[in-house]
Amino acid sequence: MARMKFLCDADRCIECNACVTACKNENEVPWGINRRRVVTINDGKPGERSISMACMHCTDAPCAAVCPVDCFYVTVDKVVLHSKDLCIGCGYCFYACPFGAPQYPKVGNFGSRGKMDKCTFCAGGPEADLSPAEFQKYGSNRLAEGKLPLCAEMCSTKSLLAGDGDIIAKIYKERVVKRGYGSGAWGWKTAYKETVAI
Amino acid sequence: MSEMKNKQSLDRRGFLKVASLGSAAAAASVAPGIVTPAQAYNPGKEETKGRYRETDHVKAFYRTNSY
Repeated sequence: MARMKFLCDADRCIECNACVTACKNENEVPWGINRRRVVTINDGKPGERSISMACMHCTDAPCAAVCPVDCFYVTVDKVVLHSKDLCIGCGYCFYACPFGAPQYPKVGNFGSRGKMDKCTFCAGGPEADLSPAEFQKYGSNRLAEGKLPLCAEMCSTKSLLAGDGDIIAKIYKERVVKRGYGSGAWGWKTAYKETVAI
Repeated sequence: MSEMKNKQSLDRRGFLKVASLGSAAAAASVAPGIVTPAQAYNPGKEETKGRYRETDHVKAFYRTNSY
């Protein structure tokens, strides 16, 4: 059975933030919440790298482990989803998540942040597939439509990959074999001279 | 006068005793109904079913990303 995963090819990400915008638009995410973010390391310095981050749909998800109301569940595709009807907005999942994926619509203390919101891998939620209730709470369900998350589908540099973990890992492996990696990559010395090595 | 006062205080004590006994009895009778074992959220098969399909759309994504 396919296991859904995201993979961001950091050598290709140009920090355009189109994945962030596409996600917000596709899922009509409210103000204050970014289900996906682009993180830049060594910003403005040689060797700068950007990576697009969202919920990584962990195999043994720490968010699910700490949830006091046990509102998380994992689908057959291994997508980690949650029920907003059960969520009490305590914030434990936010502290547990190593990627900072869980977000809240309001700033506040325990219980006043509103229901947690996170990337659903464009797979909706517990409501009926493609129903208005599902869209209103969790956003679109592209997986049920036979598509993949929009953030990956519209990535202009094909940096962000999504889908069956085995397939996208193979795609990435082929890329690395072909182009080399970091300072061994084709064109690296032309762009960064000999002084920068990664 | 003092006898009357005594009687009154006894009555009050008696009332408190009866009231406390009554509330304890009420709690005892209700408690088995309230206490239920905690249950984890158990999503149904419909919620956890696999939605991913390798459609032509998805195959096109894999094909166009493999370079």
